[in-house]
Amino acid sequence: MAIKFDPYAILGIAPEATVDEIKQAYRRIARRLHPDVNPRYEGAKEQFQDVTAAYELLLDPVHRKNYDQQAPNALKPDDYYFNLQVTPSKRTIIPLKEPQVIYLLAEIFPDPRAQENMSKRETRLNLTLVLDHSNSMKGVRMEKVKVAAHQIIDNLSSDDILSVVSFNDRATTVIGATSVDDKPALKAKVSMIAPSGGTEIYQGLSEGVKQNGKFLGPKLVNHVILLTDGHTYGDQDNCLQLATQANKDGINISAMGLGNDWNDKFLDDLVSKTGGSSVYIDSASAVVSYLNDHVRSLTNAFAERLMLSIAPDPDVQMELAFKLSPHPQPLDHTTGIIPLGSMQAHRPVSVLFQLQLPGEMKDGFRSVARIASSGDILENSKQFMQIVSDISLEVTEEHTNDEPPPGILDALSKLTLYRLQDRAQEALERGDVAEATRRLENLATRLLERGEEALANQALLEARRVAHTNGLSDKGRMTLKYQTRHLLLNESSGDQS
Amino acid sequence: MIICPYCGNENREGILFCDNCGQGLTDASSGTTLPTRQLEQMPNELSARATWGTASIGQKSSIVIHFRETDDPVTVQLKDKTVIGRSDSTSVRKPDVDLTPHGALEKGVSRMHASIERNEDTLTLVDLGSSNGTHLNGQRLAPDQPRVLRDGDEIRFGKLVAHIYFK
Repeated sequence: MAIKFDPYAILGIAPEATVDEIKQAYRRIARRLHPDVNPRYEGAKEQFQDVTAAYELLLDPVHRKNYDQQAPNALKPDDYYFNLQVTPSKRTIIPLKEPQVIYLLAEIFPDPRAQENMSKRETRLNLTLVLDHSNSMKGVRMEKVKVAAHQIIDNLSSDDILSVVSFNDRATTVIGATSVDDKPALKAKVSMIAPSGGTEIYQGLSEGVKQNGKFLGPKLVNHVILLTDGHTYGDQDNCLQLATQANKDGINISAMGLGNDWNDKFLDDLVSKTGGSSVYIDSASAVVSYLNDHVRSLTNAFAERLMLSIAPDPDVQMELAFKLSPHPQPLDHTTGIIPLGSMQAHRPVSVLFQLQLPGEMKDGFRSVARIASSGDILENSKQFMQIVSDISLEVTEEHTNDEPPPGILDALSKLTLYRLQDRAQEALERGDVAEATRRLENLATRLLERGEEALANQALLEARRVAHTNGLSDKGRMTLKYQTRHLLLNESSGDQS
Repeated sequence: MIICPYCGNENREGILFCDNCGQGLTDASSGTTLPTRQLEQMPNELSARATWGTASIGQKSSIVIHFRETDDPVTVQLKDKTVIGRSDSTSVRKPDVDLTPHGALEKGVSRMHASIERNEDTLTLVDLGSSNGTHLNGQRLAPDQPRVLRDGDEIRFGKLVAHIYFK
């Protein structure tokens, strides 16, 4: 297997390390990541492959010498970089009989130089719009979507690539992937879209991904935006597979749900396969600004195909992964491989993990997890970059009074609200009305404490509705979910103390 | 195990917000509590003088605490374990001896700073893992290690200096 990045960095050793030191470093990592001892997480497997490749390269004197002379993967001084910083909720833990919980905040910071130079350059977009034109889009929704698409066309330049696909039960290629030269003609084509039929997302999405793939390039921001207002039936699994493949190809998918009648959980799952984001747009008139803002944020991209892989130690369990910034988004925590999509030059990407440590830990320093972050920096000639962080803690009886870092506390205080509504919905799905009601009431209490009066009232209203009708209103459900998620957005980047 | 003060749910150690109801479980997360101030430097002029009073308290049931910078001494009725610290509007546990009126916050006294424990006929002073430490006659105590108290001893809670006298 070819080695994609600096083998010394991957093994965590100095370039002048002796053969013994290389072997030691390898064994130390293998004890934690080898599939025989750590079979649960894909992240461990992937990291172990990298480590093994690095080890094999460095152990072969000829290959090592070749590498040292050329250092093809090493970062040059002028290259941009990004940084990975992992903060645990505690640095020392008390040994206990029972399992305990620790949080890790992983933050990826873009090169500060990139932010300064950002205004000078324009990232080239390879953008695909996949637009729902089913019957339910009729009227103001369809019109606003067209207005938004027209504005996007106006704001693109001839260096950018655009394709537009519309779909109902079938997909229509409105604009095949092309550079944005003849804007009036492109806009005219968008104007022709007319609402009819049902909603089958897979049809539109697969055509959209196909169009986007035509101009797929490492120097481009390859992005598909799906806009829908309805449920899709029976083709969810196909969509998820498509998204997984698109991610491997370097295509990012974001989703926008319009109105209250679309499958939020499905769209969350879909976008998390590529590290994209999903938003809830409650009124048609908001479509224009949402779409435009989203496209604008894409032109700020500093790195693409950003990935985080986390390999908890064999006795450590991952319980939660949540992206806090730039777009709050629940993540799949079962594999340890987390696509994060694109990183903007002015905003760090941060992910919060909840891990369970085992009971009966011995005193002394111990490792908890190994986190690797990789991505393609658009401006660099050798784009791929990877950075690894190993997290260790001290287990000691000695009592310490350290408070958890404010960044973690702040994020968790808001994430707790999102999880309360999440659990209320889970309880409802199980048919446990009493628990759902209780969770919603607790949510209302916590929201009031934070001064979120309107949202607290909404939660109370829904709690009462659940008690009477055994269900939430669609609008209430969407509002609680996306508004509590939105709370995470505020000030989340301002807490750097 | 952390028991939620709001709903009584049993949370695993390390959980910062109650799994059941979302209540903050640490001092910092539960809102308005003022954290103990970390003092940057222990000033030298606070160094102590050693005194050699009696260690035996006998059958007496109270001690008197004199604070260096305030006039009025405080008489303390001893319990088996008397906790000294700083009360806080949101703390669940209150100390038996509250040093707030003696400038505890500015002087870096922890909420549960130290305790005086009654043994057969002696008293011992125990630091409860305070942020800025407890000094007995100028010597810093290791947390949770009891030391015998003598009549006239100087105790320093953070930067707050006091003398105790057996009554």
